[in-house]
Amino acid sequence: MSLKLEPKKEPTARTVEPSLATTRTASVKLPSTILERLLFILSRYREASIAVVAVALVVYFQIGSHGQFIETQFLGVVFRDTGRFGLIAVAEAMLMITAEIDLSVGSTFALAPYTMGLLSVLWGVPVAVGAVAGVALCVLVGVVNGVITVHFRVPSLITTVGTLFFVQGIVVSIYNSQPIMTPVEEPFNEFFGESLYNPRADAMLSWHWWSAFTPVLWAVLIVAVMAVVLTRTTFGLHTIATGSNPIGAREIGVRTDRIKVYNFMIAAGLAGFAGIINTLQFSSADPAAGAGFLNLEAIAAAVIGGTSLLGGSGTAVGALIGAFVVATLNNGLVMIGAQATVSDIFLGAGILAAMVLNVQVDRLRTRRRI
Amino acid sequence: MNSQEVPALDPGAPVILEMRHIAKTFGAVTALVDASIKLHRGEVLALVGDNGAGKSTLIKILSGFHQPDAGTIILNGNEVRFASPRDARANGIETVYQDLALIGDLSIFHNMFLGREYHKRVFGLNLLDNAKMRDLAVKYLKTMEISIPSVNSTVDLLSGGQRQCVAVARSIYSSPTILVLDEPLAALGIREGGQVLGLIQNLRRQRSVSIILIVHNYHQVFEVCDRINFLHSGGIVLDASTTETSEEELIRIAKSGLSRTAPAAAADEVGSNPA
Repeated sequence: MSLKLEPKKEPTARTVEPSLATTRTASVKLPSTILERLLFILSRYREASIAVVAVALVVYFQIGSHGQFIETQFLGVVFRDTGRFGLIAVAEAMLMITAEIDLSVGSTFALAPYTMGLLSVLWGVPVAVGAVAGVALCVLVGVVNGVITVHFRVPSLITTVGTLFFVQGIVVSIYNSQPIMTPVEEPFNEFFGESLYNPRADAMLSWHWWSAFTPVLWAVLIVAVMAVVLTRTTFGLHTIATGSNPIGAREIGVRTDRIKVYNFMIAAGLAGFAGIINTLQFSSADPAAGAGFLNLEAIAAAVIGGTSLLGGSGTAVGALIGAFVVATLNNGLVMIGAQATVSDIFLGAGILAAMVLNVQVDRLRTRRRI
Repeated sequence: MNSQEVPALDPGAPVILEMRHIAKTFGAVTALVDASIKLHRGEVLALVGDNGAGKSTLIKILSGFHQPDAGTIILNGNEVRFASPRDARANGIETVYQDLALIGDLSIFHNMFLGREYHKRVFGLNLLDNAKMRDLAVKYLKTMEISIPSVNSTVDLLSGGQRQCVAVARSIYSSPTILVLDEPLAALGIREGGQVLGLIQNLRRQRSVSIILIVHNYHQVFEVCDRINFLHSGGIVLDASTTETSEEELIRIAKSGLSRTAPAAAADEVGSNPA
């Protein structure tokens, strides 16, 4: 056997040039059928493909509602939901990239604003201070989630179901399930959430117009920050490494446990932040605000946005677009006259389709390796 | 065979690493009873032995992954104690594990610099300097004569041999004094294995790094090693230079060793080493 190092020609002939545009050798299995080609494109531009779906939905509902969808107050509702889902979905996407999940966001979503309201009502603490305290408390819940998961090796699915009920129970019982009116303290409320967009009263781009869209604007801002964190920072790189190959990452010196705990803290903190914004819109802190399917809707948004539950892949921007799709489905179907309950059928089908697509795209990626 | 291409190791090369009387048990399983190895500067030492002989445990102790129950590690004449892989790495010991510790979802250049990323300040933020890492990876892989399609492609698109080469290149990048390769040829075809052996031979020729090589295939051992240590049932049973021993002798030891091994361990011989 020759030991002269002569791998220069061999490997290039056997492997795939990652760029779609570059030429490939004949031995590479090219996407042949239309379906394969479509999946191939999807694997490269996941956010773009989900954005196409989002636009298609808007067009569909715009036509279906006879031009009502974009023009009315409804868009404000869709954007409010997009913001709420988006903030949680992007955090959930980060966690899912580390191959963990947080179901307790439903409870932290209520915990932060309720803490804020309670501090205000009982001791007259300014809402801004109460909000910080509330979010800090949520981050603490994130620490608990993270430590129980990584230290005691409890699957996060179980850990966070536990904290979901635990925190939810505390929030509901601590003040006899009473909703708390939170005082309006400007400019805090203007920055973090004013009442909804009113097309008759609000001039385009007026201050109130802006403040009516705070949830989605905050979501866009946070998602932009998270996108940078995920793709341009050491923390993001280590987050991907942690989910993609936990043992290998640890061998290289990535502090996988710490990375996971940080992501749990981000998830809980952002859920609390979303809860505060949501509450400020109504000036009322509902102890059961996060009950129902909020956590699952956020996860659905992340999954539709191209985040894999298996860890290692996912995007922040995709999660936001996914949130928009979920919010559009939730509200659009009602607009075109469907029963409110019907939207769940479409949402469910959408999640299944997104998951099947994700798995297929991954499979195609692996097959191309040969 | 062209091992004569590489000049023999200077007989006066100093011992840079000694592991003395290492013992390690995991619960009821005794992995190492009393294992001692010596490594000289610039040497390529092969650690051979069957599955369950304790090879992986020994190198995981060296790389700080496990802590020994007994025994000492002497590096450059000083006794050292590694509490973590970081400790070992800080002392110039790089390990390429069998699983390669490559991140499939990250690009080759990100893998190369994982854990030692380059940064640049952008608007006061400490962001990754991807351009710099990409350039360095391209240049470095070129000097190592490692051929890969593009440093931008993710690792899960690479062949087994390419992955191994990238993993070795990553470990060599920090100029370690000792490089540990855990089964670098496992699961590789002949051509791909040759690619990796060529890389090891290149490193051996330069004699700038001492290598501990864990291998199964005795034939390949003779091609790239200076000395062979045979590990059996938690201890070294043979320590000989490649000129003093032969493939036949190794096979004989392996066979006599196998007959003394518990049937369960023998039946497991095709499986991978316990991680």
